[in-house]
Amino acid sequence: MMRLLPWMYLAVAFVFIYLPVATLVLFSFQDGQLPVPPFNGPSLRWYGDVLGDSRLTAALINSVLVALGASLIAVTLGFLAAYGLARHVLPGSALIRALLIAPLTVSYLIVGLGLLIVLTQAGLGLSLVTAGIGHVVINLPLAFAIIFAAMGAQQQNAERAARDLGANEMQVILLVTVPMLAPAIGAAFFLSMTFSWDEFIISFLLTRFDVTLPVEIWSMLRSGLSPRLNAIGSLVFLVSIAVVLTLELFVFRKRRS
Amino acid sequence: MTTTGQRAQGWGFVAPALLWTFAFFIVPFIVMGAMSLATLDGRTLIWGLSFQNYAELAEKRFLWRAIVVSLEITLTVTVVSVVLAYPLAWIIAFNVPKRWQRLALLLAILPFWTSYVVRSYAWLLVLARDGVVNQTMLNLGLIAEPLTLANTRFATVTGFVHFFVMLLTLTIYANLVQLSPNYRRAAQDLGASAFQTFRHVILPLTLPGIVTGAFLTFVLCIGDYVTPQILGGNTELTVPQVIMVQLGRRADFPLAAALAIVLMGIVTVAYLAAARWLRLDRI
Amino acid sequence: MTAPVSLSRLNHWFGTYQALDDINLEIAAGEYVTLLGPSGCGKTTLLSVLGGFIAPSEGSVMIGGRDMTRVVPAKRPTTTMFQDYALFPHMSLRENVGFGLRMAGMGRAERDRKAEAQLSLVGLGDDAGKRPHELSGGQRQRVALARALAVEPDVLLLDEPLGALDLKLRRAMQDELKAIQRHVGTTFVHVTHDQEEAMAIADRIVVMNAGRIEDEGTPARIYRQPASLFAADFMGEMNHIPVHVTEHGVETPFGRLQLPAPRRGAATLCLRPEAIGTTDAQITLGPARVRDAAFFGTHIRAHLVPDAAPDLVLIAHLPPVDMPAPDDVLVISAAADTISVFAKEP
Repeated sequence: MMRLLPWMYLAVAFVFIYLPVATLVLFSFQDGQLPVPPFNGPSLRWYGDVLGDSRLTAALINSVLVALGASLIAVTLGFLAAYGLARHVLPGSALIRALLIAPLTVSYLIVGLGLLIVLTQAGLGLSLVTAGIGHVVINLPLAFAIIFAAMGAQQQNAERAARDLGANEMQVILLVTVPMLAPAIGAAFFLSMTFSWDEFIISFLLTRFDVTLPVEIWSMLRSGLSPRLNAIGSLVFLVSIAVVLTLELFVFRKRRS
Repeated sequence: MTTTGQRAQGWGFVAPALLWTFAFFIVPFIVMGAMSLATLDGRTLIWGLSFQNYAELAEKRFLWRAIVVSLEITLTVTVVSVVLAYPLAWIIAFNVPKRWQRLALLLAILPFWTSYVVRSYAWLLVLARDGVVNQTMLNLGLIAEPLTLANTRFATVTGFVHFFVMLLTLTIYANLVQLSPNYRRAAQDLGASAFQTFRHVILPLTLPGIVTGAFLTFVLCIGDYVTPQILGGNTELTVPQVIMVQLGRRADFPLAAALAIVLMGIVTVAYLAAARWLRLDRI
Repeated sequence: MTAPVSLSRLNHWFGTYQALDDINLEIAAGEYVTLLGPSGCGKTTLLSVLGGFIAPSEGSVMIGGRDMTRVVPAKRPTTTMFQDYALFPHMSLRENVGFGLRMAGMGRAERDRKAEAQLSLVGLGDDAGKRPHELSGGQRQRVALARALAVEPDVLLLDEPLGALDLKLRRAMQDELKAIQRHVGTTFVHVTHDQEEAMAIADRIVVMNAGRIEDEGTPARIYRQPASLFAADFMGEMNHIPVHVTEHGVETPFGRLQLPAPRRGAATLCLRPEAIGTTDAQITLGPARVRDAAFFGTHIRAHLVPDAAPDLVLIAHLPPVDMPAPDDVLVISAAADTISVFAKEP
């Protein structure tokens, strides 16, 4: 009995963890208006419905664009700051680090609210760009922290060797630092993409006419339970885990071997 | 060895990130602080140094109530999540065979990648009056009438706990496996029982990791709008919900800003309480 | 490709800590010099000054007759072989070795050919396509050497290059380094804290302590006639015998000796363990009781208490033939030319 206890706990935990996901996916195949038992189907009508919805596809493209743009900027700025702080002795570097990390300790809601107040006071319009700016604010600390933590003595020595062999600063960064930090830069980019892709409250506060996918799903939610929501939720989940599993299988596994 | 030229070059690298953070985080933050001291006359904003908004927090019961509700929910979620996640992380780290551990962990956190809004919605399906849980229990004859599960604090807490159990399992697992197995062997070699080993050796060694995870849970939970809005119904509101109400219906930016400042104050207090054990550099 | 190095009046401070204290050193073209000393003695700082990674607070560095004191590493005719090798993990061996040539603007075909030739020189000609992580420690060390030599530097700087290798491999690599240096003729400056390594490899040893040069010369000279007590101790095991220098000679527990000695007063007489023997030599130390003895293969290491100085314990390396038992009494003596006397620090 005592030996079985851990396995029973594991089983119950997995049921708890998978209950909502399984329900979501199952009732996305519901043949009817309500995503609740009894289950009729399977039917693919809601998938067809969702894929034919131009608002949803537009929101999806917006989400990808915002996530890509915000992640590229966040990772670039984060990398440069990490390089500057790790490789140069700057006065007040502890304070600079704290300042760069600070947005991480504040709720997204507060980041979004602050930006909203400034933008409305300045009379600037809201758009995907303003949401992207907010996403950079929350992703920059993370990208910086990940890349900064990865900048160890090993890279520093390699950079020193490269300089010794005649490389200039640009060549050092492009030929030595970036390739050696590629795993950390990749991880920062991936995480940044994930956060940005899934982010709701900042996008909700800072967009107006063109919205991102989570905001679009939110407005669909107002009209109550619907298998359409199940279908779009399942699709998003499917794409996300496909990306995660691909990375796990091909990138991280390779790195460990 | 550091010349002025090198230093200037260093600043050049740091400047873009610093400017971005300054322009889009620090400045908005200061403006928000100033906004919390402004007042609203009808729809016109009057800048000033008024503490009227903060006074309102103490006076108006629904505002005060929101703070209490937020704290109650967040503390419940934090404690329940840690208590549920620790055994799960433990089992994966020590009961599951080595070669299956990575898979087990991956499976345990896979639903993490469902969209954040959709995850709360999925719990709504599960807990709805004619949802999976009620239907199953009715069919099994456990209950005669469907229970009211959705649109309650219970639903909010469940939705939160689901999310944070995954997060905490990941962080606690990482903590447990990095402990040298020799700690356990040494403790047992010196005569400690399994429980004593846990109580006196493993728990103290993993405490910083647990506190860090719990702090993260606290911060993310107390600032979240989506989960209570979808699952909690309208019987009680959390601080983020009240903030959104001020923004939407009444455009009362000063009061929203004051509430945001209070929210930050609570997080700061939590940080100070946990600071002794926090290892934020290890997140 | 080789050049002489001339260091004059080098001083360097890290904050208030003086890492280099008035260093003057001439190194001839094609010479193999080791900087020897304990950690913190300034040897690595001196190497960094030579390589251009640290600009000295005072003094000058001339390489091949040109002032290099403030020239950046990339523009110096020196290359450094780093302690952890600092191989680029994302590049093949060929790309690693060809990196400096690439920076110099050499085309791919030519630099690949040169890189492969360099790899062949260090015995890795067949592994040019491999990545550093596929190699053993000794192989990595060879790649680092090939990479540093590929740009044909005038002076090669080696920072504890053999520190990460196990003892056996280290001995083999010492011979190989020496052979390669003879082959290419480049000036080698090699930092180490291992006096056996320094003796095995160097034309000349520079012993450093507390930022200063304590002694410099051939390995044999420094071992036999060290210039300071520190150098004497650092080069190997040493017996210290307190003595007193007077106008008549050196007063020792074993009688008055006529030896080259410093100024009058309290002094320390240094005697290598292998200089003590049971066969007759110029200086008789008299009977001594064996406290213990251990077999070391090449010698027997014994602790001896001489009757003439019962407070003293002498370490002796005796021929590995007869194992003395505790409390045996041996009559010991030492050769005069193996003894040095240093004045006590005031």
